[in-house]
This record gives sequence, C-alpha cells and structure tokens, in this order.
Amino acid sequence: MATTVKKVNRSVDLTLWEKMYIPEILRGMSITLKHFAVNLLGNALEVFGGRRERKIQTLYYPEELPNVPIAYRGRPVLVADENGLEKCVACGLCEVACPANCISIIGAERGDGERYPVSYILDGSRCIFCGLCEEACPKEAIVMSGEWQDICEYDRAKMIYTKEDLLRSEKSLKKRIKVLREKYFNKGRY
Amino acid sequence: METLLFYLFATLSVAFGLMMIMARQAIYSAVCLIGVMFCLAGLFALLSAHLIAALQILVYAGAVMVLFVFVIMLLNLREKAGLRSVGDMATQLFFVVVLGVLFVPLIASYDAPSATKLAEGFGSTAGVGTLLYTDYILPFEIVSVLLLAALVGAVALAKTRMR
Amino acid sequence: MSAYLPDLIETMVKIAIVLGMNIGFFAPMLAWVERKQSAVMQDRIGANRADIFGFTVIGLFHSLADAIKLIFKEDFIPRGADKLLHTIAPLIAMIPALVTFAVIPFGGHYVLWGHDVNLVIADLDVGILFVLAISSIATYGVVLAGWASNNNWSLLGGLRAAAQMFSYEVTMGLTIIGLVMYYQSLSLVEIVAKQENFFHWGIIWHWPAFILFLACAVAENKRVPFDIPEAESELVAGYFTEYSGMKFVIFWTAEFIEVVTISALCVVMFFGGHQIPFISVQDIVNYLMDFGPNVANLVAAVIGFTVFIVKVVVLIFIQMTIRWTLPRFRYDQIMKLGWKMILPLSLVWILIVGVLILAGIMPTP
Repeated sequence: MATTVKKVNRSVDLTLWEKMYIPEILRGMSITLKHFAVNLLGNALEVFGGRRERKIQTLYYPEELPNVPIAYRGRPVLVADENGLEKCVACGLCEVACPANCISIIGAERGDGERYPVSYILDGSRCIFCGLCEEACPKEAIVMSGEWQDICEYDRAKMIYTKEDLLRSEKSLKKRIKVLREKYFNKGRY
Repeated sequence: METLLFYLFATLSVAFGLMMIMARQAIYSAVCLIGVMFCLAGLFALLSAHLIAALQILVYAGAVMVLFVFVIMLLNLREKAGLRSVGDMATQLFFVVVLGVLFVPLIASYDAPSATKLAEGFGSTAGVGTLLYTDYILPFEIVSVLLLAALVGAVALAKTRMR
Repeated sequence: MSAYLPDLIETMVKIAIVLGMNIGFFAPMLAWVERKQSAVMQDRIGANRADIFGFTVIGLFHSLADAIKLIFKEDFIPRGADKLLHTIAPLIAMIPALVTFAVIPFGGHYVLWGHDVNLVIADLDVGILFVLAISSIATYGVVLAGWASNNNWSLLGGLRAAAQMFSYEVTMGLTIIGLVMYYQSLSLVEIVAKQENFFHWGIIWHWPAFILFLACAVAENKRVPFDIPEAESELVAGYFTEYSGMKFVIFWTAEFIEVVTISALCVVMFFGGHQIPFISVQDIVNYLMDFGPNVANLVAAVIGFTVFIVKVVVLIFIQMTIRWTLPRFRYDQIMKLGWKMILPLSLVWILIVGVLILAGIMPTP
C-alpha cells in the first residue's frame, strides 16, 4: 500500500479575492457539484452496464469485507507446522511479555523430548492486541493474524480461546511472518 | 364576524395580560406578553391598519421580546421558591385599586366618535407612508434623532466597559 | 352564507394544496434528498437498505421507515424540564414556517367557471412584512426549546439561536428594501404580477440583494454554514438535545419546510414566481381557447403551478449544495458577517437603488 503525501499550503493570509468570499463559495460549490454530476453519470452508466469514472468508497459491510493491511494486529493465533502440530515450545516468554496477563501456558514434554504446551489459554477479553507476544516469541509460534471478525461475543466465557481454537496453518500466515522477519530480525534491531 | 373577532382578541389580550402579571416564572411572563402583542396586532388588523398590525408583530413580538427572552435566558432565571408574601399582595391590590379609580373619570369622559367612512387607502403602506412623510415629518424626525442618540449612548457605554 | 361558499371552498382547496405540498411531499422528499444528494456528492452510496418486498426505490423508503420509527418512539421529557414549554416549543417552530405560505402566490390569476381564482391563500397588502413578522416568531420555538429542556447544551443553543436569528432578521428585512422600492409594493402578488416581462425579474437588477437575502435566509433557518445553535461538535445537538420522537420530527419538518419557504420567497421575489420567460399567462390561455375558457384557464393554472414548483426545486437544490459544501462558521464570524458585512452592504444597496431609480437608469415596472 503505497501512499502519497500531498503538501497543502496552509497560509492564513487571504488574498483580496478570497476575502470577497463569494467567488470562493462558488468555487467550492463547483467542486461538490462536479462530484455530484460525475457520480450521477456514473450511477446511470452502471445501470446500463458501463464503468463509472470515480470509485464509490462505500463498502457494503456484512456482504463485503474490508481487506486489512498486513501490518494489522488482529486476534493472536498459534502457528501450526506441516503436521498440524503447534510450533510453540511452551517457553513462557509470551506469558511474561504480555502486559495484560492474558496468556497462561502449561507445558510438558513429548516422547521425543520436545516440549509442547499441554494447554495454551489466551483470554481474548483481556488481550489488548499490542503484539508484544509475537515480538517475544523465539519460534515464530504466535503471530497477530488479520482476523478482526467475530472477536466480540455476548458471553465472556466464549472469549477464552484454547490451543485448538487458535491453531492456524503456517501457509495462511506466511505473509505476516515475512513482515515480522523484516521488522524484527533483518534490520538487526534485536 | 368582526365583532366576534374583536371580543375574542380583547378577551385574550386581557387574559394574557393577567397571566403575565401572575406568572411565577419570568419566561412565562415573556411568553404571555408575546400573546398580548399578537392580540393587539389582531385588533389593529380589525381596524384595517394592516401595516401597523404587521409592524406590531415584527417589532414588538419579533424583535423586542426576543431580547427580553434572551436576557431571561442569559441570567437563567428559574422559579422563585416560597409563596407570595402578604405584603406583596397588599401592594399589588393597592395599585390595582388606585389605577382603577384613576381610570373611572377617563372612561366616563370618553366620547365615542361617530362612525366615519375611512379615506381611500387608510392603513395601507402607501397611506401610512404619505402621512408619515408629510403631516408628521417633524415628530418622525425627532423620534429618529432620539433613537440615534440612544444608539450612540449604548455604543459609548459598551466602549467604556471594554476599556 | 351561500354567497361565501365558493370562496370558502376555494380557500380550503388552496390551503390543502399548500399543506399537502409541504408536509406530504417536500418534508419527506427533502429528508431523502439531503441524504442521497450528500452521498452522491461525497462519492458514497447513501441510504439504500429499507425495502418493501425487495423494492428500495433508491432509498426513498427510508423516509417512511424513519417516520414510523419516530412515531413509535418514546416521547421523553427530562426531569426538571418545563413540561408545557417543552411541548409547545416544536409547534411554535413549525407553525410560522407553514403560515408564511399564506401570502406566497404559487400561481397567477385565473377565471374558472366564472369564479375569479387567485392562486394565493391571502393577498395581503403587506405581504413581505407579514413574512418577516411571522418568521421572526419562529425564533421563540428554538429559544423556548433551549430554555425548557433544563440542559446546558440546550440553553447555550437557544441563546446562540436568539442572538443569531435576531441579528439576521434585521438584515434580512433591509436586504429586500431595494426590491420593494423597485416594484413599489409590499404585496407579493403584485410583485409577481410586475415580473411578467422577463427583463423585470428581480434577479436582473437585484442580484446583489438576492445573494444577501439568501445568506440571511439560510442564517435565519440555522442550517450549515450557520448552524451554531445546534453545532453537533460543540453542543451535542444544541436546542433539541433533549427532544425525541414526534417532537424531534416536528423540528426537522420545520427546518425542511423553511427551506421550501425560503426557496418559494426567492422565486416569488427574484425569479418571477409562476411566470415563464417571454410567455405570459394570457398567451397560454389564448393558445388553448379552442378547448373552452375553463379548460384553458385550468391548464394555464397547472402549468403556472408546475413552473413555480420547478423553480422552487432548483433553489432547494442550490441551498442543499451550499449546505453540503461549506463548513460551519464560528460564532464571532457569524456576528461579524451579519452586522459588519451584510448589514452595511444592504444599506449601500438601498442607496444605489434609490439613486438609480431617481436617475432613471432603473425604470420601475
């Protein structure tokens, strides 16, 4: 998402022409009327299958969903590897890093000596979406996803997510992990 | 029909006037005074003085009373607590009686003018304007000078307050 | 009494036309236009969800849905509010807007079945003064609403409204003095009659008065850019913060009807009322004489009324465009604009018109 910055000259000294006010009102009205005419023409064109010149910014929300940018911090989720097992090694760094104390982990060892979280509970009602957990994680096992829907519930009990609720495949989170690497590791800040 | 309207407006204006004096809240008094102005305008209209009727509403009900209401709101006058004191009531009664006595000789000496046919264009804008700028030019100019003096005085007062 | 009957019926029909036009057509339509026009102007879509059997009619049913919702809403009067004044304040705001239409001619003079029909409810000798007088009464609705709500936002809104409307009333009266001097009449019917010739339309000579009058009239109506009495970013909703349900609707309807009133006044004073440029009413009647005088007059009346409405709609559109183009003035800016700019300008304009008329450059019709 490349954005351009337009510098506006905010000089407060008005010229005589601007002080007369009425020409400036007419100029403003001509701008709004131009938008009106172009959009009205666009509406008419669309009915007959044409293409509108100016894009309508409105999003039909429940039917259309906005594309959140990749840096968006939605619900934190756990990353699963190819076998569907969580990458998390239950080191507890995220638990410590979390300023809202919303993560609680009980760790154990698998047969091959690998540590894993027996239970990983994330209290969504306390999470403040700060992203410190993903920053603390040494294994890229917890990342902030782009999920922003269904985060609100009528019942607080429903907002306590377990490990099974939070597991997402690594493929679906590839972009976010790439951003994380650029942000935290490649620049050598940590 | 006109007699009926006259009695309607007359009764209403007296009623509004009474309510204005009796009202406990300043804002109700103001509203009742606006009602009085309206009824007076109606009476003027019945006397075929349409211009005066319109001016009555425009100037008194529309402009002067807005300032009254503005001041009442600015001071935020609310209802006064407690009942009216006996002394207040006595004073009011006294003035009502005195004024009533003063009015008796006035009403007694009133000689109703016999009905005359109104001149063409009486009460119309052109008629009032002609009268105002020919027969009554001197009082008109004196009043305008008086208003100018009041205006200058108000500006002078406000200016000294600012400094 | 039977001699009065045709007049009575005529007046009743005219009142029905005016009320139906304002409350039945313009008020709900303007609610829709305000939403949809602003949406189209701002690259949005606007209200389009309310539907009946799947038909949305480009959002038009939202007016209906709003009306139904607001009628069934609780009519809430806050504690400590003055119940009587709180209830009558919306009516005081609404009634003047409608009463003003009594003197606005929405057509010319026609002869129908041997009966003289003047398409105006009351042809007053002092029409313009009547309009100014009645519109000054509308101030009380707003001011009393602000006072009666027992709420500081409302009180401040009412105070601002009183100061603003009082200032602009004076100026509004002065802006049209030049026009009155030109037409030599205060009667709106006479003013329209004198605009039969296109070159006698008010806008030809009096366009500065038109600009000043429109500014004052919009300020009198408290719409953006003069909406400091309700300034939602400062005073919640100003004088109608504590209003809900039907009383709120009445305030809104009053505002929309005032938009129509302003447009109608401008049309009558500056744009020739029901007249079509270069075609007089008599021309239309003469052209249609083959169908009989009654039909000819009736058709001419309908055409005149339609032309009047079209002009009103165009002016409403201009007002709506102003409303969605300009940002709100600050309080001191409004006072400065009213007293230090528009008032002197209108006085200068009166002087210029007087000189031009005396010099014979601007011949009065």
